[in-house]
Amino acid sequence: MVAVAQHPNITLMTYCQVEKIEGFVGNFKVLIRQKAKYVDHQRCTGCGLCWESCPSHVPNEYDLGLSLRKSIYIRFPQAVPNKPVIDWEHCRHLNEGSCGICQEVCPTDAIDYHQEDEILEKEFGAIVLATGYDLYAGEAAPAEYLYGSHPNVLSGLQFERLLSATGPTGGEIICPSNGKEAQRIVFIQCTGSRDEAKGKSYCSRVCCMATAKQAHQVLEKNGGAEVYVFYIDIRAPGKAYEEFYRRSVQEGAVYLRGRVARIYPRGDSLLVYGEDTLLGRQVQVDADLVVLATAMVPAAGWEEMSLLTGVGTDKDGFFAEAHPKLRPVESFTSGLYLAGTCQGPKDIPDSVAQGSGAAAKVLALFSIDEMELDPITATVDEGTCSGCGSCLLVCSYGAITLEQIQEEERGTTAYSQVARVNEAVCQGCGSCTVSCRPGAMNLKGFTNEGMLAEVDALWL
Amino acid sequence: MRIGVFICHCGTNISAAVDTEKVAKAAANFPHVCYADHYLYMCSEPGQELIVNSIGENELDRVVVASCSPRLHELTFQKTLERAGLNPFMLEMANIREQCSWVHSRQREKATAKAIELVRMAVAKVSYNFPLQRPTVSINKNALVIGGGITGMQSALDIADAGYSVVLLERDNTIGGKMSMLDKTFPTLDCSS
Amino acid sequence: MAVTNDVLETAPAWEPRIVAFCCNWCAYAGADLAGLNRRQYPSSVRIIRVPCSGRVNPQFVLKAFQQGADAVLVAG
Repeated sequence: MVAVAQHPNITLMTYCQVEKIEGFVGNFKVLIRQKAKYVDHQRCTGCGLCWESCPSHVPNEYDLGLSLRKSIYIRFPQAVPNKPVIDWEHCRHLNEGSCGICQEVCPTDAIDYHQEDEILEKEFGAIVLATGYDLYAGEAAPAEYLYGSHPNVLSGLQFERLLSATGPTGGEIICPSNGKEAQRIVFIQCTGSRDEAKGKSYCSRVCCMATAKQAHQVLEKNGGAEVYVFYIDIRAPGKAYEEFYRRSVQEGAVYLRGRVARIYPRGDSLLVYGEDTLLGRQVQVDADLVVLATAMVPAAGWEEMSLLTGVGTDKDGFFAEAHPKLRPVESFTSGLYLAGTCQGPKDIPDSVAQGSGAAAKVLALFSIDEMELDPITATVDEGTCSGCGSCLLVCSYGAITLEQIQEEERGTTAYSQVARVNEAVCQGCGSCTVSCRPGAMNLKGFTNEGMLAEVDALWL
Repeated sequence: MRIGVFICHCGTNISAAVDTEKVAKAAANFPHVCYADHYLYMCSEPGQELIVNSIGENELDRVVVASCSPRLHELTFQKTLERAGLNPFMLEMANIREQCSWVHSRQREKATAKAIELVRMAVAKVSYNFPLQRPTVSINKNALVIGGGITGMQSALDIADAGYSVVLLERDNTIGGKMSMLDKTFPTLDCSS
Repeated sequence: MAVTNDVLETAPAWEPRIVAFCCNWCAYAGADLAGLNRRQYPSSVRIIRVPCSGRVNPQFVLKAFQQGADAVLVAG
């Protein structure tokens, strides 16, 4: 993270959103919204007086609700950049005009309540989409798993925060309900996934190993702890993966092949009823904590991103690559590349590999100054074009514009409107040729005349 | 207009079901066809030489290659035309393998008749072809990476290390993404910062 | 369309002439795949490659019928 921030060729734009993407390979124009931070980051030194003094408390997204943060905050102590923003939805001053403590305490006068969102226009030759994933909301887990209704039922990522030294407990594995050390922990795999009827049909690929890691950490941290893992089957394909899973088993994690039917709350603890299909018997575990391995889903906002970029998605919202085997980091739009979990569930090594793969594609593009394009594009006979704009409506790529032209005829100047095709944007589908009533639009390589001649030569 | 037609045997992939000699003879009589020939492997070096030489010797301005699917070898034969000094878009292909010999493999007579028709259609179409130039666009060498998680950071670093400017855009107020929320990461169990 | 047994008996050798306009990126590739798998089908089928099913002008379809096609398939 620090390497990124310090790299002279990288400009970090945090707290930003893409508003619009126009153009084509080598020539993208992007509108970026810089959201108001209400803190002048030029002046701010990141000393922390402001967030220490801020009186309002908000559930901390970074700890997935397991802790509270302030209205003026940094996500975590090692955040990059290490300077705060004000969450305007919860700030007392921005909403009610009261408070204003952060401004009072700031030694560098960096707080600016009047800051507004800014729209910046920038030009790029290539774009990499690496928008990542979210966890399929634990709420989507079956109601009988008590997620959201019992504090000791957590998602895998929440549990990760409990394990973390920067987390709400400083890395102690305790029960949120009473703060006692968790001694008996049940992990439930494939919650809401690999089950079309109850959630997602696919396997998220990371949960088996994430759980094996978490089990290992529990057994290492809490002496005498018991770990139970309910699973459908273990998926550990990859270098050193199977061995890692085996290690967790040897360390004492009890793997039970079967589903959990129901969890009953009993005070602070949870009675987990499931089955062990290998032994063919019912299992009952009296657990302190239950951790649900929920599915990976595309990060929130994928619909908007798909519309902005024109990159299609699969049935689950993951961005569609140009070819599942041979073009895994390219989209169908030239110059727009995909990397990481926005394209499909994957773990860190695979995400990093794909990140580098997309970078290689960008560099290949940047190694040339000019790019040759496919000449199979639409072309307009301006003399015949009536300027009706029908072609404009059917063009999926926004390659056609209407333009005024000036014609000199018998000493008078006449103005008329004609369609123009941007060859760099046109994908050569030819839909416009069909919509064109005067027959002014033609497609190079598949001309009206050529196609008709071909059909004419059928069955003489 | 001077059209050349080249029929490929594809070893026996085509010639087992299609009488290629008969197709070549029929093609020679199609309008504007000045030259028609057949050969064992048209995509091979000698096959391409045959096309290049025939274009020169017969002053051909358009070419039809009847062979496998254009999805496979259209680019190959476009380059052959270029080598002979013709515009690569003066080529049409007749798919007489995937869409003829392989799917009518037990009907030699019918397959041959169909191949002749497919060639005739390609000849008709190529008559209307005209030279096309590939448009060029200049490449702006600044990259945008959307998403500041582990993947986006890796992409940005690799592009930046090669000497190009990168904007790393993140909607949150810090980069790091989900990865930064993880404690230790599998399989090395090192920290995620 | 109902085909009665009478018709089939009086014209046992009849094969419909079908023209298929196939999108280069999907249906045409599918037809290639049929070849790769040696799926046999009547030789009276003609496939015309188009860059997209959107390229198929109704005029082409009418022209195909004019040429004697019994059916036209636009696939993409």
